[in-house]
Amino acid sequence: MSMGEVAGGLFQQIWGNQMTDTIVESGNDEVVHDAKPVIVTADERIAFRGPIQRVLVSPEIGAIIGAVLVWAFFWGNGAKFGTPGTTLIMLDSAAPLGIMAVVVALLMIGGEFDLSAGMMTGATGIMVGLMVKYFHGSGSPMWVAVGAAFVLAGAIGYFNGTLVNRTGLPSFIVTLATFFVLKGVVLVIAKRLEQKVQVADVKDKSGFAGFADFFAHEFKPERFTGRDVAFVVLAIGAFAFGAAGLCEQSFVRRTSNAMKSAGARIAAGAIGVVAAVIAFVMLQRTDSVAANVLWGVVAAVGVVVGIVGLASARYVGRDTPRGGTSLFGDKDLRSTVAAGVAAVAIACLAPLVLDRDERRPILTWFPNWLRLGVGIIAAVTGVAIALRHLWPRLRERFQWYKPIQVICFAGIVGLLLLGGVLSFLQLTTVQALRAVVMMVMGGTGIGLLMLARGRAAKAGSRAQLQIGLLAVVAVAVLAFIIRADSNASRFRSGLFTTMLLVATLLLANTILESILVKRREASAKADRLGRRLVVVAFLCGMAALIVRVVFANVNGTAEGGAGTSIARMSIFWWLLATVIGAFVLTKTKWGNWIFAVGGNKEAARAIGVPANRVKVALFVTVSLVGCFVGVMVLTRFGSVQASQGDGLEFFYIIAAVVGGNLLTGGYGSVVGASVGALILTMSDSGIAAAGWNQDGKFAVKGVVLIVAVLVNNLVRKKAQEAR
Amino acid sequence: MVSENKHAPDVNDHKLLELLDISKFFGNVTALEDITTSVEAGKVTCVLGDNGAGKSTFIKILSGVHKPSTGQYLIDGQPVEFDSPRDARDRGIATVFQDLAMAPLLSVWRNFFMGSEPKRSFGPISWMDSEFAKTTAKAEMKKMGIDVRDIDQPVGTMSGGERQSVAIARAVYFGARVLILDEPTAALGVRQSGVVLKYIRAAAERGLGVIFITHNPSHAYPVGDRFLLLNRGKSLGDFAKSEIEITELTRLMSGGAELEALQHELSRGR
Repeated sequence: MSMGEVAGGLFQQIWGNQMTDTIVESGNDEVVHDAKPVIVTADERIAFRGPIQRVLVSPEIGAIIGAVLVWAFFWGNGAKFGTPGTTLIMLDSAAPLGIMAVVVALLMIGGEFDLSAGMMTGATGIMVGLMVKYFHGSGSPMWVAVGAAFVLAGAIGYFNGTLVNRTGLPSFIVTLATFFVLKGVVLVIAKRLEQKVQVADVKDKSGFAGFADFFAHEFKPERFTGRDVAFVVLAIGAFAFGAAGLCEQSFVRRTSNAMKSAGARIAAGAIGVVAAVIAFVMLQRTDSVAANVLWGVVAAVGVVVGIVGLASARYVGRDTPRGGTSLFGDKDLRSTVAAGVAAVAIACLAPLVLDRDERRPILTWFPNWLRLGVGIIAAVTGVAIALRHLWPRLRERFQWYKPIQVICFAGIVGLLLLGGVLSFLQLTTVQALRAVVMMVMGGTGIGLLMLARGRAAKAGSRAQLQIGLLAVVAVAVLAFIIRADSNASRFRSGLFTTMLLVATLLLANTILESILVKRREASAKADRLGRRLVVVAFLCGMAALIVRVVFANVNGTAEGGAGTSIARMSIFWWLLATVIGAFVLTKTKWGNWIFAVGGNKEAARAIGVPANRVKVALFVTVSLVGCFVGVMVLTRFGSVQASQGDGLEFFYIIAAVVGGNLLTGGYGSVVGASVGALILTMSDSGIAAAGWNQDGKFAVKGVVLIVAVLVNNLVRKKAQEAR
Repeated sequence: MVSENKHAPDVNDHKLLELLDISKFFGNVTALEDITTSVEAGKVTCVLGDNGAGKSTFIKILSGVHKPSTGQYLIDGQPVEFDSPRDARDRGIATVFQDLAMAPLLSVWRNFFMGSEPKRSFGPISWMDSEFAKTTAKAEMKKMGIDVRDIDQPVGTMSGGERQSVAIARAVYFGARVLILDEPTAALGVRQSGVVLKYIRAAAERGLGVIFITHNPSHAYPVGDRFLLLNRGKSLGDFAKSEIEITELTRLMSGGAELEALQHELSRGR
């Protein structure tokens, strides 16, 4: 008996049974006699959302997709990007931003900003450094200094929050003032004591080592004999739980009686699973091409048979044959599929035209006549677009000044397009273009095919299976093209294997979608089980990744070269901050209050939420965590600049916004903010790894920001339309 | 003009809430003068008045925002004095204001339990029992006659009537005995208003006393058991349903004699 039933039972005891049943009728006809009787049944406008759609409405989804894309982009462009060693270094440098983004996101969801957050990290670091060196002549112990810094930070946060509450001023102004005051005080004191704007030489002070160990401990990769086995087991676990969870959320359970008669399917599925596991283990142990192919095929067949067998035993099968047109009957479907196939074909053919080793900008790589041609085409296209846009209005009412206006406008548009095209061609190398074309075209093509498959499924058409198989073939072909074309091992083995795995799972998914009945309504039990399985899958995946990165294998070499992986404590703090932040926001009453206060403060207060207390608590949290980060940076490097953190407050906010948090408050996600911080850091270190001009990173950040926000809006809108 | 208090003392009906000769002065402005009315369990008392009639002041006195300057406020026959809205809420007086006290981007169940989240704990860690919150919110909404299929849906995507129903269901669930609704149909279309009126009736059927504030007699008459008319801070009368017809209600409501005079003037001008 669930809690809901208990509540329902109590209600019936109190009010009597018939009351719940008769409300609707009595309300309808006798009382509201002048209004039409209102039929309150299930709202047919709210369709059931499957697991995928439910994920798509979550605020952080745009950021996660973006992070994968940015990762893939730089991974394809810089050989140094994405190895475990460089990744750990990148994560370490992203940690302060990430931790702050988490709390700033909480504050933003609560409807406020804290512009002093960045300076807080610097000011507290400096304060600790100065106290340790100069307090009372010879300096205070480290713990006194750190304690004092936390107290001061908490007081400043309390001040910010109280002032915002009392005066009703925008927090933008209040915290801007705090920011300037902090900055001024820090500069004056630091310069007077140190004669410069850096506090250094604190490493040998009393108690420093302990704090350094706590805040910024360094983990050297340990040897672990079972690393590869553990990785395979965890990875298989992740896939298995993930598949089970998604199935549970997508399909309809059979009754237990019907399941008993499905013995053959269960047996087939079990054999498939066992074969797949054996094949995966063997794949880890063999080096010969023939054995790899053999076990690869066994693994693929095993995965498909295993998933399809077990799922068809557990879930209700489709008994009516699919009707409708085949692939080539529906004109609309046909054109989408054709576009998808064409895009994949372009991705496959790109390596023929674009040279892998060509590092020249595209413009200089073009022959002379083509450069001119491209310029002319860009300019003419711009003019044409402008004219096309203005033509109807021009025809409507002709006036003598209109033509001049139009010509000026068209000229400007033409110039803009010309400039944009030329600078793109000048800044992008052929090599990068090749990566972009393959990624974007391949992704678009497969995306279009999946879109067509979804439409066919909705129409109950049998083209669903055909298009699904086509998509599987497309992924597999792309995988082989990439393997044949590339000479980097990360593409030849890593990407190739991943894509084949994706193709296999896609195949299993396509078969399931066409033979099983999709669930159309919510089922609390199945949804809960599905959700939990997905969470377990996620944890397994994270564990697999950590095992792979943190431990060295038998030979003592970590992934990407001996001794390169150095995990730092800061990464752990970041992870912890994200987990705690996400837990507080989504699972506790405080989280509910933060949403409520940011969404509608007056309403929240009216209903009994201590709105002012929530805001003060948020400001204090931001300041305290700022202090934590300040001390972390100080102990990490042993010195701190007075300018430390100055201006970073905007990057905290940007990370939160990129992560899908609304600037106006009341909506957002902590995980999104963390991922947003990751995206910003990735674009920095990706540019460095690709060997591009470092100064371009601001431009890249700007582009990332605007694209992320647009993608967020688009995804949210699409997902809400879809329901 | 009818001005005397017409409701007959009835021993059988339990009066949840009663106002006796309530007045409210702000400095030298008289906002309300000698208002008397009552709410019984399972009954709907409608408070009608045009703009500036004193409806807002009336609600604020009932919900504990203001204290009456003179007169008595009785709950279960006992005189009470509220220092804050929270006091009133603790005595079971729940007010659903026009802006509904909801965060539009939050899901239905989060709004439902906003400020009174159910808790579960393990050792020192406690968290929100979202499972319970979701099932309860859904069940309570169903009792109001609305089937929310997706309880995770943001409240902002619901229609005005549905949002009213969330607010009403929430008040009922959290132990309200008297429900005060501030112009719940003001911003709604005909069909949606009908839906809300049905919820009002449903709340009364469940044994609550409902005070329904509106300026629309055709909304008030179908659901009301008792009608209090306000005009410029004064009571135009407090009628049981049997004592008044909707035409009379409309006439009194729209200013009665004043409106007739205006009509006369207008027709002469033409």
